[in-house]
Amino acid sequence: MGWTFRYSQLSMSQTVHSDEPPSVGSRPVTHLRSAEMRHAAFGYALLAPAICVILGLNLYPTLSGIFTSFTDQSLLNPNTWRAVGWQNYQRLLTDPVFRISFIHSLVLTFSAVILQVILGLGMAHLLIRKVPGIHWFRSIAMVTWVLPIITAVVIFRFLTLPNIGLINIILTTLGLGSFTRNWFGDPAFAFLLILVMHLWRNVPFYGIAFMAAMQAIPQDLYEAATIDGASSWKRFWHITLPNLRYIILVMVVLHVTFTLNNFDFVYLSTGGGPVDATEVLATYIYKQAWSGYMLGYASAGGVIMLVILVLLVILSRKLIGGFAEK
Amino acid sequence: MKRRSLELLLTYAGLLITYAILLLPIGWLIVSSFRSNDSIQTGRLVPALSELTLTNYIEVFAINNVFVFLANSVVIATSVMFLVVMLGSLGAYALSRFALRGKNLLMMSTLLPQFFPYVLILIPFYVLMSNLGLVDTHIGLILTHTSITLPFAIWMLTGYFNAIPRELDQAALIDGCSRLGVLFRIIYPTALPGLVVAGFFAFVVSWGDYLFVSILSQSESTQTLPIALQAFMNSLQVKWGMITAGTVVAIVPTMLFFSLVQRRLVAGLTAGAVKN
Repeated sequence: MGWTFRYSQLSMSQTVHSDEPPSVGSRPVTHLRSAEMRHAAFGYALLAPAICVILGLNLYPTLSGIFTSFTDQSLLNPNTWRAVGWQNYQRLLTDPVFRISFIHSLVLTFSAVILQVILGLGMAHLLIRKVPGIHWFRSIAMVTWVLPIITAVVIFRFLTLPNIGLINIILTTLGLGSFTRNWFGDPAFAFLLILVMHLWRNVPFYGIAFMAAMQAIPQDLYEAATIDGASSWKRFWHITLPNLRYIILVMVVLHVTFTLNNFDFVYLSTGGGPVDATEVLATYIYKQAWSGYMLGYASAGGVIMLVILVLLVILSRKLIGGFAEK
Repeated sequence: MKRRSLELLLTYAGLLITYAILLLPIGWLIVSSFRSNDSIQTGRLVPALSELTLTNYIEVFAINNVFVFLANSVVIATSVMFLVVMLGSLGAYALSRFALRGKNLLMMSTLLPQFFPYVLILIPFYVLMSNLGLVDTHIGLILTHTSITLPFAIWMLTGYFNAIPRELDQAALIDGCSRLGVLFRIIYPTALPGLVVAGFFAFVVSWGDYLFVSILSQSESTQTLPIALQAFMNSLQVKWGMITAGTVVAIVPTMLFFSLVQRRLVAGLTAGAVKN
């Protein structure tokens, strides 16, 4: 990958690596061509098992899925199918639930990623302060990220239960009993809760990653700016943010993919309900395939998701900055 | 001086609020897992000491097949971890240190699948697995989880290996070390934290996966904890004491592993983004 950072900003990369050519070029001239070829063959052999797994179990299924999207393959009898052209896609476009899921997926992905970047920057600003005990805070920050999603869902469902959930207990204690409700059962709040679960899980990852990148920004840039009378807001805007561009891009691309792809949060917490209020593309497609048995139809939905993912990744790159920029 | 202590105060206030939001829900879960169902049903914030009990855990471990689910999760996640570290490090070593023709294409084809929708992959995957006879087998699930975590692992390990000075390899080669020897004697020891993080990442994804297991596992003999927990949550709606205890059981292994790797986690996870 040609992704570059302006500064090697992570603790492990403190050894500054030069841009020297690959080892072959710098080896003594006495090495013959055949030795070089053997060398390259060895390299391919090392890579072969990984490439086979990835191509065989990821790329092939995806291509095959694109193919399936033009057929009427059914789960009940997967080995007999016929080509149906664009029929699945035409049906999808007229399916109101698909349209709702499409909108939900986009709204969720945009709002989650944008809020995560903003909150992550805020958290990084706290974590970078060298106050006593800060190492303790840094070390446990990612704790929500490593939890299996099903357990995060149990935690949030338990918190928001109608009678015995912590949220309602607190509201009642504060005398706000009229605001208590079954949060996941309320169409207005269920979607918001899905968003909150995404933030709860991912913001610390952003916070820690941004903090690591901020540590690598040379302090003299800030000192010079302070002498020139730049306000702290200006220092953030003109020094911190430009230096964080690449890590922001990496995090955005990773999480656009994660959020759009994510099936577990929605399926396990609401199953898409109440009344489609939280249905997203991943859950909708899953249901079409595994409850509706329509593999071809579901694949067409998956292909649309693939197209959105690719477009969003390109869009993030355009908005935040080129990968190869110096 | 005054300014400084104000800053300190604000920082702690910010940290306190942030960490309350992150940790209180987990704390509430853990406390509740030690409360009897009756105690949870009272809706009281602080339980009396006499209401604390281990009954929930005893009941969880008395569930039919709970040790099968636990064993399935452990076997699958650890196998995935070792496979990913092995295949990923060999691949990353090739991408980092060998002059390969078509390297960019290879790099692209390893990373690109990271962006493919899982729900789309799953459909042909199921057909493929059933043709291979791997549906409802441990091997099928291990292969599945390996294939979905490998792209990211190779990406981060290549970044990690690139950060190791090439002079080290050169010196070892001159001393008569073979190419494979360089990997074992130079790269592995130097990049050990990176390997651990790659393994941890694979473990966490495999341990927590619901989507793939829900389709590829069709009997209790291959079910993992997330599936069991979901079934459990839907069938025992009222027994929240047991549900919370089961959840804690599913959390503990990742937490232990996390406490070992947390210092290296972010440097490792974002290593692929470092200058190449």
